[in-house]
Amino acid sequence: STEGSGRKRKSRWADDEPKPAFQLPDFMGGIEFDPEVQALNSRLLEISRKLQSGLPLDDRNEGARSPSPEPVYDNMGIRINTREYRAREKLNRERQEIISQIIKKNPAFKPPADYRPPKLHK
Amino acid sequence: PGTTETPTKILCLNQVVTVDELRDDNEYDEILEDMKDECGLLVNIIIPRPNMEGNLIPGVGKVFLEYADTVACTNAKNMLGGRKFGGNTVTADYYPEDKFYSADYSG
Repeated sequence: STEGSGRKRKSRWADDEPKPAFQLPDFMGGIEFDPEVQALNSRLLEISRKLQSGLPLDDRNEGARSPSPEPVYDNMGIRINTREYRAREKLNRERQEIISQIIKKNPAFKPPADYRPPKLHK
Repeated sequence: PGTTETPTKILCLNQVVTVDELRDDNEYDEILEDMKDECGLLVNIIIPRPNMEGNLIPGVGKVFLEYADTVACTNAKNMLGGRKFGGNTVTADYYPEDKFYSADYSG
């Protein structure tokens, strides 16, 4: 055999493994250690927790809030732009925006199933 | 169209190697070795090679990895998909077992 046992050839496999930070938060090394990506990830986690907690999303005092917009009702006569609804929408928008940013920095990032890439406006 | 979303025991790595690399016996052996080193416990590995006439052979450029079960194959898919091999970003898809076992590598 010509297979030398002491042969130290570099593997064609790259050492770095860009892995989705969202699924493997404990993964050591790689793009997850980019402080910016870390900050985005922790904000993403915080938002996800808030949205899933069931707690009021807008807990500012009456005086600290800006005036409410005109009410909007659906065809059943139920108000749809409640304070809670608007707070949730705001968090959802921020969440989508953060995911977009993470994907830009780490194309290997696997976004959550409900993520919709931003529509391109012409 | 040749691949499937449903896990199988066969993993197909796409656009991994070039025809030129596969023609060279040494490079072919090294590629085989690199695959065996990092793809987990394999039952079989098939790397279609171009023939001497230089005809286009179905599946050239791909690497087919056979695992003992779909779980091992799924783990490998998660581990290898998106990794770089020789500068190419590897994509990993499940491959139909019937096609693999009938040596149909046309994808």
